[in-house]
Amino acid sequence: MNKLICTLLLAAATGGCASDPAPNEQLRLTEQAMVQARSVGASEQTPELAMAEQKLQAAIVALKDEDHRAARLLAEQAELDARLAEAKILNAKSELELAEITRRIARLRDQLGALQ
Amino acid sequence: MKSIYLALVSLASIAALQGCASDAADQQLEQAEAVLQAVSSDPQILGDAPVDVERAQDSIERARRFAGYWGSAQDVEHYAYLSRRYSEIARQHSEALRNRERVTRLSMEHERLRQAVQDAKSIALHPSAWPEDQLISLAAAETDRGMVMTLGDVLFAAGSAEPRASASPTLIKLARFLRLNPQRRIRIEGYTDNRGDADVNLALSQARAQAVADFIHSLGVDAGRLEAVGYGEQYRVAENASARGRAQNRRVEILLSDEAGRLASPR
Repeated sequence: MNKLICTLLLAAATGGCASDPAPNEQLRLTEQAMVQARSVGASEQTPELAMAEQKLQAAIVALKDEDHRAARLLAEQAELDARLAEAKILNAKSELELAEITRRIARLRDQLGALQ
Repeated sequence: MKSIYLALVSLASIAALQGCASDAADQQLEQAEAVLQAVSSDPQILGDAPVDVERAQDSIERARRFAGYWGSAQDVEHYAYLSRRYSEIARQHSEALRNRERVTRLSMEHERLRQAVQDAKSIALHPSAWPEDQLISLAAAETDRGMVMTLGDVLFAAGSAEPRASASPTLIKLARFLRLNPQRRIRIEGYTDNRGDADVNLALSQARAQAVADFIHSLGVDAGRLEAVGYGEQYRVAENASARGRAQNRRVEILLSDEAGRLASPR
């Protein structure tokens, strides 16, 4: 009888943690976002991607410790860190393209001025 | 007694910690709110990245809900963080989109200039290039008023003055011809059918003629060589009774001057 009460109490105490399911789907999304960020050129030099990597590793450790809640929070933040890394890289690329076309136009205007 | 004292102290310190944590959380919530406020009051970003802004809003609402509960500082911070990230992503998306649009516009200008440089070079090398028969390739018809090119009604959206993209090849060819023949001038005349208000039609015909003139000017032809005039419903070329006839009447005619730049007098 005592044993049964103990088991019930233990179950109640750990219930808070156990009720959070393992965030497997979130981890998959996070990894996908990181792959996507790398595919447009983000690297470990990109601060947001480095943060995402750290948080993903921490999430994997938390998952092993069965701290599902911490794993989920970390993985969610890592996903958005990776998405921001991707967005910043794409924005930087568009700025470069803009600078390049502006430079080429200026050169053509010079040429045209010299010809007329 | 001692143990009760200890327990009280540790409870107090837990409470103090909680208090600190939630101060930090409140601060992060405020910061995230400020970032979201900046992003969502920018109509440009709102239009370019509505989904990201919406997610930033959803996350901030979650953070606010958690802020009402004791001991949920971690959740407040978490959702404030997510909200901020979404806001930043929205801003980045919007900026990149603006830049790409500017690049597209400038690419067109680049292409025009490239062409203009090429033409200027070929004029410098062969001053007598581009003989008279080039006019024929512009699909111009000889009339008693001189050479006339007609841009059909399909080259404009209904009721709109802006030439469609499909009008561009013809106008680019014409601009090229004008750049290579610096003496030539043109008069651009807009016409409509007789449906609707005559004043509205007159205004539309003028706006269309002017839009064509602006386009050719943007291709490097001096504005002084371009005249734009609208005649509205006047000078029809077909009956207005049938849809087909009306379509023929809705047109822009481009009158070309002779080599010396003489244009037939306006109607």
